[in-house]
Amino acid sequence: MIFQRTPKYQEAEESFQNEEAAAGADNVETVVGPSVNVEGDFSSEGNIVVKGTVAGSVHTSKHLSVEEGAKIMANVKAGSARVAGEVKGNMKIKETLELTASARVLGDIEVKTIQIESGALLYGRIIMPGLEGMEPKTSRQKYTTRKNDSLPAESLLN
Amino acid sequence: MYVYLYDNFLRKDKFSSTVKAMEVRLTDYGIAGKILRLNNYIDAKQVVDDEIKRGAKTVVIAGNDATFGQILSRSATCDCIFGFLPVGPGNTIAEVLGIPAGVEACAVLSRRLKERLDVGWVNSRYFVSQLHVPPAKIEVIYDEKFKVSSVDKMEVVVCNLQPYFWQDGKNAPRRVVHPQDGKLEAFLRPLTKKGWWGYKYEEPSVFPFEEMEIVGREAFAVRADGKVSKEVKVKIKLARNKVRMIVGRERKF
Repeated sequence: MIFQRTPKYQEAEESFQNEEAAAGADNVETVVGPSVNVEGDFSSEGNIVVKGTVAGSVHTSKHLSVEEGAKIMANVKAGSARVAGEVKGNMKIKETLELTASARVLGDIEVKTIQIESGALLYGRIIMPGLEGMEPKTSRQKYTTRKNDSLPAESLLN
Repeated sequence: MYVYLYDNFLRKDKFSSTVKAMEVRLTDYGIAGKILRLNNYIDAKQVVDDEIKRGAKTVVIAGNDATFGQILSRSATCDCIFGFLPVGPGNTIAEVLGIPAGVEACAVLSRRLKERLDVGWVNSRYFVSQLHVPPAKIEVIYDEKFKVSSVDKMEVVVCNLQPYFWQDGKNAPRRVVHPQDGKLEAFLRPLTKKGWWGYKYEEPSVFPFEEMEIVGREAFAVRADGKVSKEVKVKIKLARNKVRMIVGRERKF
């Protein structure tokens, strides 16, 4: 029984799965491997997978995947994203952002749809479209006080 | 008129039956032509240029990846249509071009389905299959926008027509490079120290690009289409639609 041959249909299924995996790998256009450092304006027309370190800015119109252990110290612009590593910088995502349990994000996020898994760490504002003109009054008051702060001290006394 | 350039290794007895069968099939299709056998002392560009002057319209390369690379890297600028008859081991480019190995390739040649292929340009010469930089202390600058570096040595492989394989596991996916996608693909594999003397390859990084520069802290070796040279700075570009080639229907682009 140890040397039993695998049935033909199973072989065909396996080869199909392998082909699918190969096709999936082909969709990934840019991969930043671990122990590789990228510096500068990093942009791609296709999907990006980051497993190493990126500093500067990241831009793609398609999917960005930040793997566990990866570090991005840059402003990010992407079509959609999945973060499992560390991002220090503002993120502007057109469609969906997924933060997994191991994600650590320091910066503001502008996104249409967000999914945050429990355990993810986030420090920053989240801005989502659809609530324009419904900002709470407190924030507007804060803004006015800040505006006054910038005025010279004499004008405030008057 | 067809001109056939045979690689030297096709003289071996084990290939004689395949070569004869191919010649018979080519005669059947009415596309037989002049046969020239290459050796180390023949300049492919000179031969192709001479044959074009004599009226050759199609130059067919018979051999493997090495033959294909050697001839096309020198004669990419020639004004003719190229064909390929893959024979023997080491034929990975033929698969990308959709040309079956052996006698069946004659049928593809007779159909004359033509495509324009991109080629790579490195320090004032062309390469069609692959460019390889063995592990060295280098930095890579892409499209003058971003720089890629590693802590220690790094290996670089730039693929045009020849697929690049790396085996992290038994079921590692095989990457197929599309020669028509308007970009070259660079694979970077950093080396990290393992133990006292040993080195270990890290997972590769993949960057599609149109222009890149490899800068070394010291001279490093560059192997492009079988030709090895020592460089300190290498500029690699993409030359679009440079080669007219007869391809098969099952091509990967």
